[in-house]
Amino acid sequence: MALRDLSLQSARSLRKSSFPRSFRFRYNVSRNASTTTHDQDLEPSSSLSIPAPSSDLVKDFDPAERARKRRAELGRELPPSRYRFRSPKYYRGPLHPHQPPPPSDPTSRQFIPGPFSLPRLEQTYHSTIAPDLMTLAYTHFPPGYRAPPKAPRLRSWDETSPYHKNRPLRAPRGHTVLPLLRPPITWQNVPRLERVTVHAMVREALEDKSHLHVARMVLQAITNVRVTTHRAKGSVVGWGLREGRQVSVSAEVNGGDMWDFVGKCVDMVLPRIKDWQGVKGSSGDSSGNIAWGLGPADVALFPEVEVNYNMYPPKMIPGLHVILHTTATNDREARLLLSATGIPFYGKQVN
Amino acid sequence: MNRLKILRSAPSTFSGLPFRPRASNALPLFRPSLQNPFPIQSQTSPFSSTACLLKRKKQRVKQDIRVRHIKFHLAHPITPRPLRFSRHRALRHWTIHRAWHTHLSQVRRARELDLERQYESMKGACEALRTLGEDGIGYTIARAPEPNEDGTVPLQKAQEGGEGLVVIGGSGKGEGGKELGRLYRLAMEKKGIWQGVPIEYARIQTDTPGREGWDHGWKR
Repeated sequence: MALRDLSLQSARSLRKSSFPRSFRFRYNVSRNASTTTHDQDLEPSSSLSIPAPSSDLVKDFDPAERARKRRAELGRELPPSRYRFRSPKYYRGPLHPHQPPPPSDPTSRQFIPGPFSLPRLEQTYHSTIAPDLMTLAYTHFPPGYRAPPKAPRLRSWDETSPYHKNRPLRAPRGHTVLPLLRPPITWQNVPRLERVTVHAMVREALEDKSHLHVARMVLQAITNVRVTTHRAKGSVVGWGLREGRQVSVSAEVNGGDMWDFVGKCVDMVLPRIKDWQGVKGSSGDSSGNIAWGLGPADVALFPEVEVNYNMYPPKMIPGLHVILHTTATNDREARLLLSATGIPFYGKQVN
Repeated sequence: MNRLKILRSAPSTFSGLPFRPRASNALPLFRPSLQNPFPIQSQTSPFSSTACLLKRKKQRVKQDIRVRHIKFHLAHPITPRPLRFSRHRALRHWTIHRAWHTHLSQVRRARELDLERQYESMKGACEALRTLGEDGIGYTIARAPEPNEDGTVPLQKAQEGGEGLVVIGGSGKGEGGKELGRLYRLAMEKKGIWQGVPIEYARIQTDTPGREGWDHGWKR
């Protein structure tokens, strides 16, 4: 383009100065046919008419020096203009000189773009459920209240026997391990959903591995995360289980996927299960994690499985365990959170 | 040679098989086993004169084609290569990433502040109920309760206050009447709270909620 402009300019100047037309000039004109006919349509000004930079600018122009100064100011190098870095394919430990970039960096192999949606359940939690829970569980402490000191949680031995010397402390009353503390709920520690573990033990996988593959695919479709396969820790003769065989699959769901998964369960799957009473009231590990099970027929109700039901051999669709991990430290509060989310409970509630 | 002649004359009579269309100039050499006194036992491969032992084929369970597809797609190494950004695009991405995280932290902070505001107002309301006079107009000032030896005040003691109440305003009553602190006691009740939220209320927000909140007459 610049070359064309140049020839245009030269042509115009040449014509003005009534210079005898040389062969070369004629050649140029004939090549750019538009120059003669549409001369007035063209922009008269060009980059050549712009005055040259001033002398002091020219004198100061030192790109290398500028880059050095910029580096000194920033303390580090700017990302290069061309691609240079390649994230290592395998993590070789913290002492290796080649470290992968953080997952938020698009050059990282763990980089996931997004989020592209705002889950409804998350919005509901922040707008409705959290304030409700805080209000429901509110305990009033008048000003000036200071909690009385409690006895130590791990009791010591009364030194009635010489064998009590150097023993570890006694376990707490009624427990073999220390139960989690239960601080009063304030605006800082309203129980919330932390993560969901979806787990399926596939007993048929002992005979036929294809059950395991189907279970992996179903779990991956439902949860939108990559699935982990687990091996049997020990042998159980009665079940035909042998140590080291792959028998179960699980998926850890966090963040937006977690909200989506629970929302799907509450809105689309659980209401359509036949004769489903709810989650059993005694479910839970007494530290705020609540679980329930879904049969193979119920797993087929998940929309991802349902729309593509023919993709899976129907007899191989597994049953699942869904474990909801909450930040509540006891089952009572966790159950309150889940019931506010829309998961009903039935039977005697055990805390 | 003699046998060949016989065959030529009437081959179908020798075969002992049902009727076969007979080619006019069919060479009898094509079916030697019919009359061969030493037939090759169980020949499977063509152009081979040796007998190969027939291994019993293993009964293979035929795998479902869907399982094959599932296996293929689960094991397929389609890990995308990492993105490559030039300087300007990397800077642009970094800027947007930081802005997004700043926005998220602002949203989180706003939520926390809102919850704190609600908590504080709840606390103020409960404190007002606690110090409300018997007639609901005046308010009582509980004298500071006597602390224990270690300087702490148990909850029961702190709520009841010290010896005698100072009543300000109202009718002046309030010296430990039945109505004193009744609203506060009611507000502090936790009856039925841990039974859970009613299912009609525990519903996820939607863009298009139904006109009827809950269909109580629904039956399967």
